[in-house]
Amino acid sequence: MSSAQTQANLVDLYKEKAAATACQIAEFSSFEEAIPHLLSLMEKKAPCELLYEEDVEKGPKGPNGCPTRVQKVVAAPQLGEYYEPLKKAFEEKGYKVVDSGLRHYLAGIDMGIALAEKGIAQSGSCMVNTNNEDTRLATMICEFSVLVLKKSQIMPTVLSMADVLRSEMSASPANYITFISGPSRTADIERVGAVGVHGPLEMHIVLLEG
Amino acid sequence: MKDSVKTSKDYKEYLEEALNDQFLRKTLDKFAVDYRVSREAVFSEIDGRDLIKKVADAKDNACRHMEELYAKFKEEAEKRGVIVHRAKDAKEANEIIASIAKKHEAKKILKSKSMTAEETHLNHKLIEEGCEVTETDLGEWLIQLRHEGPSHMVMPAIHLSRYQVADDLGKVTGEKYDPEDIQRLVKVARVELRGKFIEGEIGISGANFCIAENGTFGIATNEGNGRMVTTLPKVHIALAGLDKLIPDFETALTALTVLPRNATGQRITANVTFINGAGEYAIGEDNRKELHVVFLDNGRSEIAKDPLFSQVFRCVRCGACANVCPVFRMVGGHKMGHIYIGAIGLILTYFFHGKDKAAILAQNCIGCEACKDICAGGIDLPRLITEIRNKTAKEVGQPMQVAFVGKIMQNRKLFHRLLKFARFSQKPFKTQEGFVRHLPDALFGKHQFKSLPTLADKAFREIYAEHAYTLENPKMRVALFAGCAQDFIFPEHLVAFMKLMKAHNVQVDFPEEQTCCGLPVQMLALKEVAADIARQNVKAIDASKYDYIVTLCASCASHLSHNYKNFIGDECREFSSKVKDFSSFMNDVVKLDMSLFNKSAEKVTVHIPCHQARSLGVMEQPRNLIGQVAEYTPSKEEASCCGFGGTYSAKFPEVSKELLGNKIRRIEESQAERIVTDCPGCTMQIRGGLHKKGSKVRVTHIAELLADNLKK
Repeated sequence: MSSAQTQANLVDLYKEKAAATACQIAEFSSFEEAIPHLLSLMEKKAPCELLYEEDVEKGPKGPNGCPTRVQKVVAAPQLGEYYEPLKKAFEEKGYKVVDSGLRHYLAGIDMGIALAEKGIAQSGSCMVNTNNEDTRLATMICEFSVLVLKKSQIMPTVLSMADVLRSEMSASPANYITFISGPSRTADIERVGAVGVHGPLEMHIVLLEG
Repeated sequence: MKDSVKTSKDYKEYLEEALNDQFLRKTLDKFAVDYRVSREAVFSEIDGRDLIKKVADAKDNACRHMEELYAKFKEEAEKRGVIVHRAKDAKEANEIIASIAKKHEAKKILKSKSMTAEETHLNHKLIEEGCEVTETDLGEWLIQLRHEGPSHMVMPAIHLSRYQVADDLGKVTGEKYDPEDIQRLVKVARVELRGKFIEGEIGISGANFCIAENGTFGIATNEGNGRMVTTLPKVHIALAGLDKLIPDFETALTALTVLPRNATGQRITANVTFINGAGEYAIGEDNRKELHVVFLDNGRSEIAKDPLFSQVFRCVRCGACANVCPVFRMVGGHKMGHIYIGAIGLILTYFFHGKDKAAILAQNCIGCEACKDICAGGIDLPRLITEIRNKTAKEVGQPMQVAFVGKIMQNRKLFHRLLKFARFSQKPFKTQEGFVRHLPDALFGKHQFKSLPTLADKAFREIYAEHAYTLENPKMRVALFAGCAQDFIFPEHLVAFMKLMKAHNVQVDFPEEQTCCGLPVQMLALKEVAADIARQNVKAIDASKYDYIVTLCASCASHLSHNYKNFIGDECREFSSKVKDFSSFMNDVVKLDMSLFNKSAEKVTVHIPCHQARSLGVMEQPRNLIGQVAEYTPSKEEASCCGFGGTYSAKFPEVSKELLGNKIRRIEESQAERIVTDCPGCTMQIRGGLHKKGSKVRVTHIAELLADNLKK
């Protein structure tokens, strides 16, 4: 089997296993092409509930009895070259776009976008370098979490991540790496599966060529 | 187990409470079945046995190097600005953590799930010091609201119903919730706990792995609370047992491949976090977090030196040993451990929470080996539980009667004379079908859920001569190991065996000096007696003269082949290696000569005894044998425990009754006309239960089914 074929098989396996963790996956040839998809997700989603007091304009109460944001917020820290086009497109639609200072938004944001450095086919996971506190918060306090993953970065198994993890965890004096596999979930009440107990209610994967 | 349970009598009353809890029973029953299905699905994608072996070897190796790993972790972590502490016991660990809180004048403490913090009763200490502690894992929070302990290591609130949860949450918020809307109930935690996360001053987590090579620790969670707790407050304290130390990322990721699959049937948990070093804290003066790792010893460094018990450190806290335990299924986790739950809980209670509690809890193992079969670290849990019984029998003591039983069992002639006397004295109570009638309720009330068999009029050893034969040119020679129950209660099993062997040209001898296999005395924690009996049998049957030693009791087969070496070492090597259970001997070695048999239309299902399925790994052979001579009719959970468990059913008749009820339900659902098994104990239990219900389903040994279908 050629290495291109092997990688294609890994991508298929990744998609299958990520879907099993309740991730919604969409494929694009470039990030620019993914922006309309993200805008449409944002447009359709109900405004974020404010789970804590925040000095901001508030809309009617959401499904859990909390006031909602009037201006939807998307956080996209450490997005590199993807940030500017994203910011432009989202701001044109009237959304607030931030890439830092997320401690001011702990009551909740609509969407958090982060780059995944690696994918794991066997478990449908993304590895995200969350050394940066804002990146970490963006994936935690959002209602919709979006992870951007390149197909070429999908590794076969959890165990095959050992060397990657070793070098990630040695890169800085302090490191914080997360494997994320689907939205926040629990089965603590009568073993009935439920998502969104603390973190994201939905997990979207943007799968890019290359 | 609650603290007020001091004696076996208290414990039995405590068990009754669970047995009468219909919600708990239904929940655990469903869980036991669902768990198997989801686990199997995710294990089919990996080489589970191989991975479990790797986890076991890696953890064993880590355990041997615990001190070096600790030193390495400490050095690496300190390089990265982490403060590493070591606590010799629970009290010291709690004091270290309380003093950190005091230093920061912190009152608001957040916790993500940590079994180690449960072990040390950390919350009590912090609350005593005036802190407000909030458990942020939903299950832990729910039980915290009720001031209860966890009833499962992974699903701490599995004992609670949606109604209880809706009520409890209503008390927190003052609102009324629809108990049927579980999705909404979960969001109450989302809303209520967000503020706690934001205001928390110290976050306390556990750790699933502490990776020495560069001072990294890993936390696996599903809810995302672990990441909140480790990120939002300035101070983070991770509390971990010394047994969590492992050398490298390979070991961590190997364990991570198995742990969630075995725990909840997931390929991986929603979040796995790897942390090293005091990282960024955006709103701090110095922009740095304060990170502490507290290692708890609490006896671990001593256990690590024990050649047998050190294997408890292979435990990854997946909870699977509870998930498959038939007793857990009946009584739930509060009754199956003190803090640590399930088979591993029975063992760890001895080391962490007291011998008195362990002496009571360790009795409540039926010995089915389902836990050993499922363990993610390949721990020989049943053996360790037996050893805990031996230890507590010595240290806490056991009733006089037990020692008396030991004296009798050690002397075969006396034991057999007593059995013959019992046969004589039971005559007035014997029914035509061979059951005991009219037992006084006051003495036997709790045992009356099944009809009890009487001893046979003549033991096998008394009629052996009538069935003995000598073949001119046998294809092999085997020694028959009869076992007490077949020798004295069901000699017909052995007579059927003789017929089958003669027809297949196999020479059978019955060495008469053989005695009980010794498993019952092992269950009673009479280690020396068990060793003595093992020697008697090895001497009675000269293994060098036979191709195989065959027994029609799966429990005897398992004990003779796997346990003897634990008592008498190498003396039993040849003997143990030749032991075969009936089904695998008949199916794999002798192989049915179909020219000798008729195939009947009788619908026959099977009960595969615990020791046959798990200890011997024999599952397909009995089914295959049935299918050749009758209509094999599958039933659900064919290999689940019938509730006999040797001396267990006498000790815990209440639990035994419920297990038997399950088994009978499965048999009835299958609509079979006959159920066969490969064990006299299971025959006795299932036959007694069906007879009590007035059922027409026949219960026989597989050998009898085969012999019934021999051409005349």
